[in-house]
This record gives sequence, C-alpha cells and structure tokens, in this order.
Amino acid sequence: MSLKDLLSPFFVWQRAFEKPYTTLRPTLDRPGAPAYRGFHINITETCVGCGSCQTICQNNAIDMVAVEAYAGRAGDSGLRPRFDYGRCCWCGLCVDICTAASLRMSNEYAWISDDPDSFHFTAGVDDKPWQDNELGYRRAEGYHLNPPKRIEMPMLSAQESLKSFAEVTLGYNEEQAKKEADRCVECGICVATCPAHMDVPDYIHSIRDGDYEKGLQLMYRTNPFPATCGRICTRRCESVCPVGILGEPVAIRWLKRFIVDQVDKKDYQRILEKPIASTGFKVAIIGAGPGGLSAAYYLRQQGHAVTVYEAQATGGGMLRYGVPSYRLPDAELDKDIDHITSIGVEIKYNSRIGKDVMFESLLENYDAVFMSTGLSVPSSMRINGENHARVLSGLQILADVASDRDPGIGKKVAVIGGGNVAMDAARVSRRLGAEVTILYRRRISDMPADEEEIHECQQEGCTIVPQAIPVEIIDADNKQKVCIKWGEAKMVDDPKGGRARPVLQEDKMHTETYDCIISAIGQSSNLDYLSKELQEQLAFEWGKLTPAEYQHTSMKKVFVGGDFANRTADAISAIEDGHHAARGINRFLNPDFYTALEKQEN
Amino acid sequence: MKDMLQRLQRDFNISDITERQLRLTTFHVKKQSAETLLRELRDREGYTHLNFMTCIDYIEDDIFTLVYMLHNYDKKNTLGIHVNISRDDEAMISIHTLWAQAWTYQRELREMYGIRFPGSPRVDEDFCLEGWDQIPPMRREFDTKKFSEERFGHRAGRQSEQPRKHMKVELYPNRGGDEK
Repeated sequence: MSLKDLLSPFFVWQRAFEKPYTTLRPTLDRPGAPAYRGFHINITETCVGCGSCQTICQNNAIDMVAVEAYAGRAGDSGLRPRFDYGRCCWCGLCVDICTAASLRMSNEYAWISDDPDSFHFTAGVDDKPWQDNELGYRRAEGYHLNPPKRIEMPMLSAQESLKSFAEVTLGYNEEQAKKEADRCVECGICVATCPAHMDVPDYIHSIRDGDYEKGLQLMYRTNPFPATCGRICTRRCESVCPVGILGEPVAIRWLKRFIVDQVDKKDYQRILEKPIASTGFKVAIIGAGPGGLSAAYYLRQQGHAVTVYEAQATGGGMLRYGVPSYRLPDAELDKDIDHITSIGVEIKYNSRIGKDVMFESLLENYDAVFMSTGLSVPSSMRINGENHARVLSGLQILADVASDRDPGIGKKVAVIGGGNVAMDAARVSRRLGAEVTILYRRRISDMPADEEEIHECQQEGCTIVPQAIPVEIIDADNKQKVCIKWGEAKMVDDPKGGRARPVLQEDKMHTETYDCIISAIGQSSNLDYLSKELQEQLAFEWGKLTPAEYQHTSMKKVFVGGDFANRTADAISAIEDGHHAARGINRFLNPDFYTALEKQEN
Repeated sequence: MKDMLQRLQRDFNISDITERQLRLTTFHVKKQSAETLLRELRDREGYTHLNFMTCIDYIEDDIFTLVYMLHNYDKKNTLGIHVNISRDDEAMISIHTLWAQAWTYQRELREMYGIRFPGSPRVDEDFCLEGWDQIPPMRREFDTKKFSEERFGHRAGRQSEQPRKHMKVELYPNRGGDEK
C-alpha cells in the first residue's frame, strides 16, 4: 500500500468546508405544480359514498369503509374511500369520475414514514396536513367523464297531446335506453330510497346487456307493477341519484318503462317465477289498488290462496280512476294486473265490503286479511258555499273520464289545489276543451305535484295563479255557472324555520265566474265498511293508522297498507306496503318456519 | 394561416381542420402523405420544432390516431397533425430523419402502444418498462385492473363494503328483494 492510498481519505475532508453542490431538504421547499396529482383530499361532507372512485380505480387502491361520523341515510351510503398508497398510481381517474366532485388531489407529494402500514388512509377523515391545500389536481370546470345530461324523453307536442287522451311520453328506443343506462354508475344508493327497494342498478345493467327478460325478472322481485311505475312513479330514487349532483339524475323511471315495453305480455308466464305449491292458507284482501294487488301477488307466490274484494268494476284503484290515460294508458295497467291474476289471484269486482260482503265474515273465513282501501273521499275546502252543484271534485272528474262518462265541466273552469290530482283534473279539462285556471294557495315551487306534471300542465295552456286563497263560493246569475271569491296571499316566513305560510290579504280580493269549480285539495279515507268498534280497535285516527312492523295491526289477523297507512301516499309506497304485509302474513301463517330460519342464521 | 391551410388542403388533402384554441389548430392527413407534409411544414412553413408525438387508441373504430405537434417560433403558433393508422397494420414511417429526437418518442410509442417504426434507432429496446411481458399497456384492450390484481399483492387487513349492501344492512334489513 502506497502513502497516497493512506492519505487520500483525508484529502476528501477538505471538501467539507466548500459550498455544497446539492441542496438540503427541508432548507428549500419545492412545492408541486399547481395542478399536480399528489395526495388525495376528500370533502367528506359533500361525498355521498357512491364508490365510483373504487369502481374506476384500475389498481384496486380504493376501499369503501364505514366512517363513524357518517351513518347511511337517503342519498349517502355513509361509506368513504380509503386509499392504499402501495397501489395508487395517481392517475386521477377517481377524481374525474367522482359524482359529487368531493374527491380532489393536493399538490403535496412528499410523505416519509418508517411504517409501511401508515400509507393507508381515509382521505378527509384521517388527519393529513394536505387536506386543506388549495393547489393540486381538480377536475376542470365543465369536464364530465360521465355525461351530465340525460337522454331526453320523446314526447308529443303540447298541441298534439291536447287533441286526445293518447299517452304523452313516447318511450325510449333501444339506442336511447342504452345510452341513458350507460350514465348509471351502479352505486345502488337509490335502492335504499326506493320505497320498494327495487334492484335499480341490476335492471339498468340488464339494459346494457340487452337482456330485458332478466330485467323484468329483477323488477318483479320487488314490484309487480313495473309497467305502471315505469310511467307514473314518483321516482324518489332519482332524487338521490348521485349522477344528479353535478348533472341530471339517471332517468330510472324511463329505463324501467323501456324494459317493460320490450317484453310482450304473452311471454310473462314463461319468464317470471311461478307460485310455489299450495299451502292451504287463505288470505282476503280488501281493495284492488297497487297495495292490495302487490300483497296479493307476493302472497300467491308463497302458495297461499288469495281473494281480492274490489268495490269498483275494474282493478287498479287510484291508478285506474285517479291517473288519466295520457299518463298511464289502460293497456299498460292491465299488463300488470293481468299478470297478477294469471298466477291465480282471484279478484271479486263490484264487491263492496260492508255491503256485499261483511268485514266480520272475512275475519271468520280467512286466515289473514289485508286492507288497502286508500284515500277515496275528496277533502273539503272548508269555505262557505262549497256544496254548490257546480263545485265538482277532481277525483270525480278523473273517475268519470276513466269510465267514459262526461263529467260536464263546461267551457271555463277553475281548479283549486296544487297536487297531482289538481294538475290531472286541469289537464283532463283542457282535453275536454275547457279554458283552465288553477288557483293554489302557496307558490308554484311549493306545489306538491310532480314538477314534470306542473310543467306539462303549463305547456298545455293551463294558467296557474299562485298565492290565491279561495274565500267563498257564490251563486252566479245562471244555475249552470258559479262564482268564486278568492284573495291574494302574502307568504310569511315561519320564525321557527318551517315552510312559509300564506296569509290572506283582505284588501286584495277577486271574484270570477266559471262553468264549474274543481276542488282537488286532498283526500281522506272511507272507512264506512268498518264498525266504530273495529275502527277503534284498529287504532284509526282521523281515518289513518300507523301499522306495526310488517304492516301488522293490533288485530291478530289484520294487516294494512297503502295511502291510509303511510305518510307518502304514492303508488310505489303502497306496493311496498303490500309486499311487506305479504312478508308479515307469511311469517304469521308459518311461524315455525321463520323461527327455524332465524335460528339457522344466528 | 388560412392560405397555408387551403394550400395544404389542395396539395395533401388534409381534413377535419379544427381551431382548438388560440394558436392551436389540428387537422387530419392520410398516412401515406404524412411524412411529406411534415417535411413541407418544417422546411417551407417554419414549423421547425417537434413539440412531441403521441397516440390515441380509438379501439371502437379500430384505429390508432398518431399526433404530431409542431411549433412555429416566428408565428408563435402550433399545429397538431393527426394521422389515423389501422390497428391491424400498426406501422408508421419513422420521422427521426426529420427531427433526430423523434426516435425517443417512437421508442416510447412502440413500447406503450406496440406501433412499429421501421428504421428508427433503438426502437425495440425497453424504454421504461423493463422486462414487460404483456401486450402494450396503453392499448385499450389491456386490462389494467386484472394485471394489477395478478401482479401485485394485497395489503393485509384491507376490506371494502358495497354501498348498496351496506345501506341494506343499516337501513332496511327486512325489506327489498332478498328475502324469500
């Protein structure tokens, strides 16, 4: 070894006093570029836990996990994305697909830890220094990986639709349906909100696959009225669709209709499940509306003998007599009802309980009874003179038209109310050639009617006068006419934060003469078929009641459902009531079977 | 600009001329005219700089679209030249003779999309994917998720829930279509 070899290490030391060529962290901070795709940020308050980020992630780097601060509720699964940085490649697809635009990336890119397990975190929940970073990758304004606009429903023009009672919506064609189905992210958040908990993502998927028979089978698992609901459902599902946060919600109702439209009625028997072998039990159902027939369908599937008692000459209840055929053609309603009867449900028409058959005899002769007689009595306006012969009820007009009777409304009518019955009474009157004015006590935005109905109503030439409170009905000079006195209302905010209240302005009164006044301000139930004692025993209050779990009442054999037993009073809720009562009745009739099943599960 | 595009339309049959933004215009040209057109733009029109080359996989139409981005320093504008090539015959004339640095882009495109550039220097050597044994990863038929599933291990203790199932358990356990 030479002397040089021995000394050379010491020569290196002289460099220790020179200016270094490299820079030391953290002496100089180097922030990421403004749009850098760095560590994830999630605004957990905006996130709805749809899991689209997880689905799109090509590296399986995202899990959806339950987070303590968020419980599942309508429109929010309560789950939040958790990132595994051992797998993430920072492509940003999760940010691009995020339905709520809650997921972002910060421009932070340095994270040093000895513990590999720490690189696994729930953004926005686990405390991270970059959560509030202003910079980093954000989706560009107006950029949508998923098309924000829904495929428009082809419709008759307003002029064309006024000429007849032909269906106004024409239905998607296959190309339109597939395009619309492609907008669904298949998160299933809507399933919780649908009263019947329909398998929405699965049946939409069946459209993507072009397998409409499968779609129909999926729908019948939870709803024996798909042709009907595909047209007139209140579609609570769409109100929580995450795609609707940044764009328009997926047209779930129109897609449901599309599936039903693709399948011929004569193929239903072959495609759909058949009832199991007879159990020997007999169930009576009062009312052949959506609630009663839904219960009938699911009870029959379970092998019970089902008899439905219906006071009217045809089935469908409000769907038949309360929904005009331009929204729901009779043939479509019949498609649903015919399948229910085709599996062996017996409907006794023109059989009014309390008159033709006594309620007590049902209790005696059947193993269980399901009541779903709905709300059939128009509510009173509680103003002077409302018993005038030219004051008609909206329900009566709709029932007349549904039964091909002339309701005799005349040429100039006023409709009182802001619900769907009011809108339909108005649109029916337009079709019968009348000039229509709708008086509603609150603002148009407060109307309980479906937004589309209000819009179509206006399109068809009905005049809506909001903030108009009826005060009195007065005789006109002519017996064929009637006058209404109404006053303008001022909206007064509720100091407690409730909805604004209309207050009559005594100095702003109007009086107008019409050929008739159509009152459509709500309905109540008709319980004449039950004795006072029975009504009390069943705990009816103001004609309504709240059932226990599985739609059970305080009477052992009696189950209830539909408009008089729920708060939402729409078809889909009645359908679920019927389905749920069928589950309850099934448990009630086979108690041992279910106890065994529960034991097995535990 | 307008004159030049009109002339290119006449001489090279360019199509789909689109002004994408201020100072950025794109158009399509047929594969067989592309090299001559690029040479013309470089030598006669002042587009001396090749910003970059890239590719888009339009698998639905069975084509790759190659994009050549050229810049003119005098006019301070950029042209995007789009060239469609069939996915069945994914070869393109090499332009390393026009811009020497093109060989790097072509090597990358070879690796990521499997596009052949005969004669381009070192074009078949690994670029950034050392030891890659799958189909080119930027091709749309490459299943990234399946690959990452097969290739990489799972961190212990990871678990995930489906929003729909989670909500059913939490909110409506006895309802919906599952119970028989």
